Amino acid sequence: MITLARRRLLSTVALTTGLVLTLTACDSGDTEAKSDGPVTITVNNMPPATEKIQRQNFLDDVAEFEKAHPDIKIDPNEGKMDPATFSAKLAGGQLENAFYVYFTDPAGLIARKQVADITPYVADFPDIQQIKPNLLQVFGDGKGKTYGLPEGNYTMGLVYNRALFQKAGLDPDKPPATWDEVRDDARKIAALGNGINGYGDYSKNNTGGWHFTAEMYTRGGDVATQGADGKWTAAFNNDTGKAILQQLHDMRFVDRSMGERQLLEWADLLQQMGAGKLGMYLATADNIPTIVAQYKGRTEDYGFGPVPGAQGALGGGGGYMFSPKSTPAQIKAAMAWVLFRHANPARIAAGKERDAKNKQPVGLPEPDIFTGAAEQTYLAANKKYANVPTENFAPFVAAQPSIPLKLEPPNAQKIYAVLDPVMASVLTTQDADIPKLLADAEKQVNAILATVQ
Amino acid sequence: MAYAFLSAGLVCFGLFSWYPLVRSITLSLQQDNLVTDPQWVGLDNYRTLFDDPLLGIAIRNTLEFTGLALVFGYAIPIAMAILLNELRHFNTFFRLAVYLPVMLPPIVSAMLWQFFYDPGQGLFNTLLHGAHLPTSQWVQSPRTAMLSLVLVSTWANMGGSTLMYLAALQSVPPELYESSEMDGASLWRRIWHITLPQLRFIMLVMLLLQITATMQVFIEPFQLTGFTNPDTITVMTLIYRYAFAVNQDFGLAAALSVLLFVVLSAFAALYLRITREQTV
Amino acid sequence: MATRTLLSDIALKRPRTRAVYFAVLAATTLAVAAVFLYPLYWMATAGLKTPAEFAAQSVTVLPHDPSASAYGDAWNHMRIPHFFLNTVYYAFGGWLVQLGVDVCAAYALSKLRPVLGKAIFAGMLATLMLPVAALLVPAYLTVTDLPVLHLNLLNSPWGLWLPAAANGFNIYVLKRFFDNIPHEILEAAAVDGASRLKTLTRIVLPLSRPVLAVISIFSIIGMWKDFLWPMLVMQDPDKQTLSVALQRLSASSQVPPTEMIAGMTIAALPMIVIFVIFQRHILGGLSAGAVKG
Repeated sequence: MITLARRRLLSTVALTTGLVLTLTACDSGDTEAKSDGPVTITVNNMPPATEKIQRQNFLDDVAEFEKAHPDIKIDPNEGKMDPATFSAKLAGGQLENAFYVYFTDPAGLIARKQVADITPYVADFPDIQQIKPNLLQVFGDGKGKTYGLPEGNYTMGLVYNRALFQKAGLDPDKPPATWDEVRDDARKIAALGNGINGYGDYSKNNTGGWHFTAEMYTRGGDVATQGADGKWTAAFNNDTGKAILQQLHDMRFVDRSMGERQLLEWADLLQQMGAGKLGMYLATADNIPTIVAQYKGRTEDYGFGPVPGAQGALGGGGGYMFSPKSTPAQIKAAMAWVLFRHANPARIAAGKERDAKNKQPVGLPEPDIFTGAAEQTYLAANKKYANVPTENFAPFVAAQPSIPLKLEPPNAQKIYAVLDPVMASVLTTQDADIPKLLADAEKQVNAILATVQ
Repeated sequence: MAYAFLSAGLVCFGLFSWYPLVRSITLSLQQDNLVTDPQWVGLDNYRTLFDDPLLGIAIRNTLEFTGLALVFGYAIPIAMAILLNELRHFNTFFRLAVYLPVMLPPIVSAMLWQFFYDPGQGLFNTLLHGAHLPTSQWVQSPRTAMLSLVLVSTWANMGGSTLMYLAALQSVPPELYESSEMDGASLWRRIWHITLPQLRFIMLVMLLLQITATMQVFIEPFQLTGFTNPDTITVMTLIYRYAFAVNQDFGLAAALSVLLFVVLSAFAALYLRITREQTV
Repeated sequence: MATRTLLSDIALKRPRTRAVYFAVLAATTLAVAAVFLYPLYWMATAGLKTPAEFAAQSVTVLPHDPSASAYGDAWNHMRIPHFFLNTVYYAFGGWLVQLGVDVCAAYALSKLRPVLGKAIFAGMLATLMLPVAALLVPAYLTVTDLPVLHLNLLNSPWGLWLPAAANGFNIYVLKRFFDNIPHEILEAAAVDGASRLKTLTRIVLPLSRPVLAVISIFSIIGMWKDFLWPMLVMQDPDKQTLSVALQRLSASSQVPPTEMIAGMTIAALPMIVIFVIFQRHILGGLSAGAVKG
């Protein structure tokens, strides 16, 4: 019958059209290198179009690198580390050869074998020796293997608003050195009224747990300690932990110096600082250029001091790791790129000069990732091209050498997830039962630490 | 022959609904790091899941949300539709206004209300304070957190159901009202005995859809309170937390997803059976 | 229409009822405006504030120092027109694919009664219960490597269109509607020698205009607002949808909140315009879908 044939024809046509369209539309970009010819690698962390200067710098670097390495071609993507898409990208073979991670990420990735082992190639890159060994350890498995390279390293300090300090009658060159002073100063600043908070802290999406950890370190405490038998146990259910939570609770409900709005996460305190509504908060130095650029604050207004208590400072930062599906040629090419852009002692001075010319902040008191001769080069260039009021950061720089730098506990994200609601409870509930909160958290953290090998 | 027409549909459903469901079940029985081949671990993931105190908390919170959403998100659109149906003026304005929030991407609505819920300077507390009424801590207090989330969700979604009820109301035969009025029925009796029964079909459909949707609520708790808040963590937020935010464990997340699927399917089957006479 | 609702027109002529009516009308109008419109007004004007004033978060009717710079920046920096066009393209294509696939499938299930029809229909409905996030990784894995054909649909619109066509709600509503088309009409057409396809296009579809409108509205809105899936599938920043681009920019870089909100407002406008224009069709469609049977 004509109709039967016509229908069959129609379905066939439809199916074929669909297939053809799909085939032509499907993206054939994959991360596998061709067997001969130039090596193509994908990298991420290209600044988006809204950051014109940084993006241009990035593209210039790519051009310069490709000129120096004619056998390597770089295919850049935007974006840093997003846990939601990371797994999807890995599963789909879309993970870049060199992808950005924060210091909290490597441990989990290494344990789950989701990153490439670069130990065999380290010897090919002498520049790696100029990087601080304890930073390299962050990307290692503790047994001698390396899986990534650091690009930036930041230590916790106290970011404070010099203008508000002055208005409240405090000396802007003397940030509070103890937590008692923090409480007093916060009270005075909050007394300025007009929605201004003296001190701010986090309590949402792991940032609260992260800050609690930082605060334990400042008082000489720990969140987790390792015994002689190698086993880890929770170490915060003690007077130090109680003191931290009690002080936060009192500042919030007794002094009312922390404002009503809680359940804050990372960007919220920067926004308050940028709007001139926050006296101080614990942060790393890289917050300051972000506040200035994104929230239109003024660099002169911000000071940076050491963490109150000064008995330990939590270190953080970022770096790059490498897709496990890369070929050895790609890994080597990607390592070359990462080192070229972020860890090449020969390019430090030129980089700082370029930044200064582009009116990007130079001279911030971020600890560099270098050691030895490279570090000297870094410090000299930082000084020479400084265009920010470095005297505002003097308190931090002065105290820095005497404060031990401590890294995060194992399974940090899981631990933070347990401690986060403790912070939230203390900051939102007037009758929070601090001993109980700590005891419950201790039980959960011990269960987490029991799985650490 | 019928299958020729069905073919495309079967392909789409097969590839993107049924096959992933099966894969979800297999994932729940494995540990997969997405690089090397997955390892079969039997019921380990389920054991971990049931040992986690967060599971009970998430289930309780989800049920609380669904319950509150029934009171607010289900009843309000019906009442609103009945009211709007009566009003003879400004019809276009009402329909447009009520439906506007539905147009917003859910993330935008959630972020918008986040500003409003700020206990210090947000719009709501400022207005309450100005009217000398007690202010609320909204999402920051365990007592009002869930309710606050339900309000956002209701605001953002009620337009669709309201308009559907409104459309159904407009096909109610006027004679029914006439005759009942002549019989002397009061306003409420008319609503109860005529209006609501006429809406029965669509009310039942919407009830099923609403319960199913609210059991899977994610955006509002996630955006407003994050994935660590025991007052508001729901099953979907927990799945996200397992998969992406804290555990990076797809097997565990898949186990919880399978659990959720089983519960929802059982509920739907039961529901459809009970309401069979009324929806035929 | 004389007495079309609870209140008859005659009743409204009585002065007391009239007074109550107008009071209720006024109250409802104010309430609706306050609850539904003011938040959007707030959002639109927040984009006109300077960042400092915005952070102050005071309640003002008009910004103290309105400046449209945030809107300008949002338009240019955030490349809103580009992402808007992306989203339009995906929504339009998705709508066509959904209509094509789902209408044929519902028609088959309703009128052509294939052997396993009931089971297939139940299977399609069951997908409404599937938690979205649960399917995320398996569905993503499928999209990156289709079984049998071994195609990668990432960064291709088909990665959005094909999964969207697996829409249980559409099938349900369409089948219900088709079920209510009397068999006699179809039998008459068959007697006249029409093929099944012709029956579909010449007879069933024109009758189904209202329900097609409903499907279309929901499908387009759904695709416009969809977020998590397009974020995973369209990873090339250039190809992203508007929602995903907005979120990426807000999370990753130096976009001030005022600019962000201005961008959101711009993103919300097109849907509103479309709704205003097609409002009659939408309501007409909803009435057909909502009525019993």
